[in-house]
Amino acid sequence: MAGAEPAALRLEGVGRRFGALAAVGDVSLEVARGERRAVLGPNGAGKTTLFNLVCGDFPPTAGRVVLFGEDITRLKPHHRTRRGVGRTYQNSLLFNGLSVADNLVVAVRGAKPGRFGLRLPAAADRAAARRLAEAVRLSHLLGAEVSSLSHGQRRQLEVGMALACEPRLLMLDEPAAGLSPAERPELVKLLRALPRELTLLVIEHDMDVALPLADVVTVMKDGDVVVEGPPGRIEGDPVVQAIYLGHHGRAH
Amino acid sequence: MSGGRPSPAALASVALLAALALLPLLIPPFWTANIFGRAFVYGIVAMSLTFLATYGGFVSLAQTMMGGVAGYVAAVLVPDSVPSLVGGVPYAAAIPVALLAATASGLLVGAVAVRTQGIYLLMITLALAVGFHLFAQANIAWFNGYEGIRNVVGPEVFGLPFRNTFVFYYAALGSAALLYALVLYVVRTPFGLVLQGIRDNPRRVSALGYDAALHRIAAFGLAGFIAGCGGLLVTFYNIGISPGSIGLGPTVNVLVMCVIGGLGHPIGAFVGALVFTLFDTFAADIYDRDRFNTLVGAVFLLIVLVSPDGVLGLAKRAVAPLRGRRRVGPAAGAAPNTGAPLAAEE
Repeated sequence: MAGAEPAALRLEGVGRRFGALAAVGDVSLEVARGERRAVLGPNGAGKTTLFNLVCGDFPPTAGRVVLFGEDITRLKPHHRTRRGVGRTYQNSLLFNGLSVADNLVVAVRGAKPGRFGLRLPAAADRAAARRLAEAVRLSHLLGAEVSSLSHGQRRQLEVGMALACEPRLLMLDEPAAGLSPAERPELVKLLRALPRELTLLVIEHDMDVALPLADVVTVMKDGDVVVEGPPGRIEGDPVVQAIYLGHHGRAH
Repeated sequence: MSGGRPSPAALASVALLAALALLPLLIPPFWTANIFGRAFVYGIVAMSLTFLATYGGFVSLAQTMMGGVAGYVAAVLVPDSVPSLVGGVPYAAAIPVALLAATASGLLVGAVAVRTQGIYLLMITLALAVGFHLFAQANIAWFNGYEGIRNVVGPEVFGLPFRNTFVFYYAALGSAALLYALVLYVVRTPFGLVLQGIRDNPRRVSALGYDAALHRIAAFGLAGFIAGCGGLLVTFYNIGISPGSIGLGPTVNVLVMCVIGGLGHPIGAFVGALVFTLFDTFAADIYDRDRFNTLVGAVFLLIVLVSPDGVLGLAKRAVAPLRGRRRVGPAAGAAPNTGAPLAAEE
C-alpha cells in the first residue's frame, strides 16, 4: 500500500440515474488520506445518493468508485464495509429491539471473522462495545433498549456503530440533523475528537458544524459538484452564497 | 447478560421443567401422551416459526413442510414401515439423515425466499408448502401417494417401545426443552443478534459488513432443523405420515398455535400448542363433532381480538401490576418484539 499512496477515495465520473432523473450527474473528486471533507448543498443536490454510491447501496450507472486504490464499483455493501467504509445515516438506522450494548456488539463483529458466531459474545467484544459507548458518551445507557433513547442519543449511537467497524473512510450523513441546540455541541465535540488519521466525509447543512471541521469543502447542486476548496474560500464564494441564501434559514 | 447468577427467568424455566417432569405421576395416561406430549411435539414445529418471526421478522408458512420432510425421510428409511420403500435403515441412522434433510429443506426455502418480506414471503413459503404437499400426494414411488407411509413406530428406548406413554412423553418433553434452550441461547449469540438486526434494520446490517442474505438463509436452516425434530416426533406420534398431515390445514394450525400463544417469546409456541391441543381434543365433545372447528376458530378470534400478542401478552398484562416496579433496560433475551410482524401481514 505504501509508495504511491493512493487517495482514500477517488470518484471518476460517477453518475446515477433513476429513470429520467440524474440524481448524481457526473462527479469526479478525490479525497486524500486523513483528509476531512465536508459535502454541502441544498436538499436534492445528490449528497446522500453520492454516499449510497460509495457505500454500495446501489451501483452507479456511470463511472468508477476507487477506495484506497482498489476499484470497488461493483462490490456489495458488506464487502465495502470489510474494506474500510463506515457510514452513518441521516435518519438513524439502529436495531430498536436490542440494547445499546448489543447494537454495538453487532457492529463490532461485522467487519471481523466469525460473523456467524454461535458462541456468546466474547469478553473482548463486550469490552470493545463499552469503549465505543464511552467514546460516544453513552456508557450510562449500555443496558437500555435503543427504542428508549432520545434523538440526540440515537445520533451518538449512530456514530458509535459506524466507528465500530474500524473504518478507514468514515462517512457521516448529516450527523447533526434534528439535534436540539443543547445536543449540538456534544456531537461537534465528539466529531472533533475523532482520530486525525481517519478520512472523514461529512454531509452537513449546518455551516457552523461543517466548516470548523473540514479541511476541504465540496459544494453540490443538482447532482453535480459546483465548487470545491478550503472552507475560508467557500464561505465567501458567490455561488455558495447564492445557493445558501434563503436556504440557510430553513436548514435549521 | 447477568453473569454467573441465574436470572429469575432461568429459575422459573427450571422449576417449570421439573413440574412437567413430575406431571405424568399426577395425570391420566391419556393426558400425558395425547394432550401434553402432543402439545410438546407440535409446539416444537410452532417454535421454529416463532424463532423466525420473533427474532428475524420472517413469517414462514413452510414450517410444517420442513417437519414433513423429516417425517417422510425417516418413514422411507426405517425398518417395518408400510409400505417399505427403502427400509432397513436403523433409527439411529435414519433420524440424523431425516434431520439433515429437514435442515437442507429449511436452507432451500430460505434461499428461494431470500429477497421477499412480509406478505410476499408468506405467499412464497405457502406456495412451497402446498407444492410439497401436492407432490407427496401425487408421487407413489417415494411417498406412496395419498395413503402415505404407516407403521413408523419410532425407535426403542431402553427396550421400551416409543409408543409407550412415558417414553413418548419424556422424549417429547426433553426435545422441547433442549430446543427451547437452544433458541434462547442462539438469540444471544452474535448470529442471533445479527438476526434481530436484520429484523430491525437489514440495510444497516449490510452496512456493518454482514451478508444479510446468507444470515437469513442460515436462520431458515436452523428453523428447518427445529421443525424437523418436531416433524419426526409428530410422525412417531401418529405412527406414520401422509400428505394430509402436511396439508394446508396443519400448515395453518402451526401459525394459529403461534398466534394464540403469542409471538413475543419462544415459550408462546408451546402455550399456543397446548391451548390448541385442548380445543382440538375436547371441542368435539363440547360442540358439534362436525363443526368443532367453528369453536376453535371462535376462540382464536377471541384471543386475537382481546390480546393481539396472544396468551403471553395476556399473562404479561396480568402480572405487570403485581410486579410494581420495573427495571430500566431489560436484559438481552427478554422478549423485544410483540406480534407486530405478523399483525402487519394478517
